[in-house]
Amino acid sequence: MIARIWLTFKQHRFETIAITVVCVVLTAAALIEAYRLSSLNVPISCFNGRYESSGIGTPTYSAGAHCQALVDSFMGLQSGLPMNLVRPMLLLAPLLAGIVLGAPLVAREIEQGTAPLSWALSGSRRRWLLGKVLAGVVLLVPLMLAVGLAAEVLEGALDPGVDTHAAFQNYLGRGSFDLFWALAAFAGTVTLGTLFGRTMPALIVAFVVCVFVRVAWDPGMARIVLRPMAVEQTGSNQQFGVFYGGGPGIIGVTIEPTPLIEPTPLPEPSGSLGSPEPSGSPAPDGSASDVTAFTPFWVQIDLYSYTQVFLDGKPFYGDPYSLPGYQMQFDANGNLIQSDPSTMPNWVDYAIPGSQYWLVVALESGLLLLGSLFCAAVAFVWVDRRRPY
Amino acid sequence: MGADAGASTATAALVAHGLSKRFRKKVALDSVDLSVPAGSITALVGPNGAGKTTLIRVCMAFERPNAGRVEVDGVDPWRHRSEALRRVGYVPQAPAVYRGLSVEDHLAMARSLHSGFDADYARRRLDQLGIPLDQRADTLSGGQGAQLGLAIALGTRAKVLLLDEPLANLDPLARREFIQVLLDAVRSEGSTALLSSHIVTDVEDACDRLAILGGGKVRLDCPLEEARRTHRLTDADSPPPGATAVGSFLGKGGQKVMTLWRLAAAGADGSDGQSAAPETTSLEDVVLGYLAAGRGTAGLQFN
Repeated sequence: MIARIWLTFKQHRFETIAITVVCVVLTAAALIEAYRLSSLNVPISCFNGRYESSGIGTPTYSAGAHCQALVDSFMGLQSGLPMNLVRPMLLLAPLLAGIVLGAPLVAREIEQGTAPLSWALSGSRRRWLLGKVLAGVVLLVPLMLAVGLAAEVLEGALDPGVDTHAAFQNYLGRGSFDLFWALAAFAGTVTLGTLFGRTMPALIVAFVVCVFVRVAWDPGMARIVLRPMAVEQTGSNQQFGVFYGGGPGIIGVTIEPTPLIEPTPLPEPSGSLGSPEPSGSPAPDGSASDVTAFTPFWVQIDLYSYTQVFLDGKPFYGDPYSLPGYQMQFDANGNLIQSDPSTMPNWVDYAIPGSQYWLVVALESGLLLLGSLFCAAVAFVWVDRRRPY
Repeated sequence: MGADAGASTATAALVAHGLSKRFRKKVALDSVDLSVPAGSITALVGPNGAGKTTLIRVCMAFERPNAGRVEVDGVDPWRHRSEALRRVGYVPQAPAVYRGLSVEDHLAMARSLHSGFDADYARRRLDQLGIPLDQRADTLSGGQGAQLGLAIALGTRAKVLLLDEPLANLDPLARREFIQVLLDAVRSEGSTALLSSHIVTDVEDACDRLAILGGGKVRLDCPLEEARRTHRLTDADSPPPGATAVGSFLGKGGQKVMTLWRLAAAGADGSDGQSAAPETTSLEDVVLGYLAAGRGTAGLQFN
């Protein structure tokens, strides 16, 4: 089997070398960017500052000039060209690696007429395919783990003070997810290549499908897998009111709200105005040793949160604004008739706390793995039935 | 004509019974009965589209027959593919080589796919032909590529070799070399070969048996010598006594329509068919006569 794997690499040397080079360069670039951010050593408290202006002269930074310089440098790196290249590539790399490696695996053999030779030699086509698929997995596993780890490190550097294993920001684009995305894309594309027997159509269809799945994954998960009954969540229940121009007026809270989406108050840097209430005392110089004493505000807003509308106690997936209760109605005197609150849908904000991070990761990566196995099973069944030309 | 097989099923390396294969409305094989005796080299001859490739692909389990069955060394390839393919060495129509892989890599791949593959044997054969093992297979000449395909098939040490028009794209010298290597191997190993071709002269010296396929049907299946001995080519007006017309076609020079006759069986007119006709007919004429019959051109007048 080792010989078969090695020969598969040789046979697909262009794809193998290209994917390896791209992943190594991307990993290095992500780590370099993370190092550049981390080496700034921006104290967490500095991020709580804000620009203030009295209307005359240059706005001043509430957390002090030192913080201002550090935060400006941080933001400069965060929005710089290298970061804008590296971050999208980190998201795309797993999909592209899986697609580029998977498309020609079977399809090129059929296109170039080598499948009859191999299939005649190997009594079992499934064993033949297994050797090729294993080669792909052997290549993808270390490369994608490296890319995922680098993405994880970069995420940590982009959000200092955040435990990346308890926060959901960009969680689908880092860590072990990179591997699972790559395996799913690989398995799906191998299947398409086996079905089509042509590399280019398999490549194009796989790309479209992968992009669609990647985009639809988040809302899909929220509706199907990560529903409150599956994962422990917190939620606040609010009821829609008649649309009064600016947005839905909340006319009442129907159940006891659990306001866990409230921002955790941050310590107020000395001299700043209008900051939230402090929950601890910042170090006077905002040194890095005090980082753990503070909870940065983005930990809260990056909770895996979404909204679900309920009508009559059941999830409602339509447009709540199209419901009759939302239409403004007036009496003969032109006065607005208040809708009956009991006929209005409830609007519930759900949030999965960071403590559920690994459960969510396990559920979603398990689902990706299941999808990969299903695709692979289709390929293994079909390769046994199809013609080799 | 398929009934003429003359080879008993018990000693046959490859047998087809009532084998039919359709591609939508096109009939590729129509109730084909064929028996290839063990140890023989059988030429499967027919024009393009006659069904030669389809027959070999059915034997390789690449195509599922619509009716009938085929057995390779007693094993049905569609039902027991692994077992059947272990007994078959296959040389595809076009030299199928992996781009970017060396000749040695091909042997390594064959060894990794086929547990019984004798890489040393294949290597020795390639060495004898002066084909460098470290050369990339896609830079080999057509003849060398075909020899690589043959070496891989022979390296399997299979009992049955199925060769799907391996000579089609080769120059005359490469064709002769290929046939020589095949003959040597089959004679020394005692294996059976079914060699498909539409070039009659190529197979005439190599094969000891002839199967003519036309329009999806077996038109003739008999030993080569018998085919030469039991047919005569004359003009349409002078049939040999008791002979049956097979087909007519334009003779050499294009001046005269010639007819192929099948001589009467021994004892029908007191002769044995051999003594009445000491001379033999060329294999090409026999094939042309049956192909003309298959195309329905028998009796055509060209003037």
